[in-house]
Amino acid sequence: MNSNKPTAYNNRLGIKGWVYAGKYTFERYLYLGHRLTGMGLIAYMLLHIIETANRMRGVEAWEGLMGLFASWPFKIIEYLLFAAAVFHALNGVRLLMTELGFFLGKPKEPVYPYSSSIKRHRPLTYIIMALAGLIIILGGSSLFFP
Amino acid sequence: MRETRLWSWHLLVIPIIIVLLGAHFAVMHYAPVFYGVSVEEARNFETMIERGKSVAQLVLYVLLLAAALYHGLYGLRGIIRELPMSPALGKIVDTSIIGLGLFIFAFGTYVTWWTFSFKIGG
Repeated sequence: MNSNKPTAYNNRLGIKGWVYAGKYTFERYLYLGHRLTGMGLIAYMLLHIIETANRMRGVEAWEGLMGLFASWPFKIIEYLLFAAAVFHALNGVRLLMTELGFFLGKPKEPVYPYSSSIKRHRPLTYIIMALAGLIIILGGSSLFFP
Repeated sequence: MRETRLWSWHLLVIPIIIVLLGAHFAVMHYAPVFYGVSVEEARNFETMIERGKSVAQLVLYVLLLAAALYHGLYGLRGIIRELPMSPALGKIVDTSIIGLGLFIFAFGTYVTWWTFSFKIGG
């Protein structure tokens, strides 16, 4: 029996598939960014729920923690969190539109030079990412220079 | 069919997260921009307790907790389940993620309820 025969689960690339995927297009970097920010946000969320439970230890414990969060290193972490959330949300909206078939164009005969749905979708991708960049910059200016 | 349903829920909770997380950011992180009060003031113990005593906040925070946990943990499960693993290990991953989600949801709900029922001065 050939042990290399693909089954339902041994033909997956796993992390290798993340790191190397052949041709790297703009969308491929967005895919990586979406995954990394998603994992960062869920890890932060779990910590955030535990950390905000500190209120149950009383006023001093709460105020001490909030004082720590008001320090510069934590402000930078807070900003990175905000940036990750904005990127993840707007890229998620793009993925949702793709999933639902919006802005992909109508199916066409494959006549050279080929036009892929990804290329037809790309202007929207650029607009959404520019919007994300703008919100991230504005968010930073409000957070650091209120 | 089951996977389609789980995936659909993953998408359906997105608007809830965007609206409620946006509101959470506005109140807790951008209070000077949206409410004209400093971040320190928005986060002090009395203000936090006062806000937490509203029924709307109780309901919306529990809803945000459920939606964000579901969305996040379902996404994490998808990433982990892409790794090569046997069906038995896949089941262990699923069960662990459900257990973690339920535990964090119960804990977060308890903290929100604690804030809601906190007696000022008592």
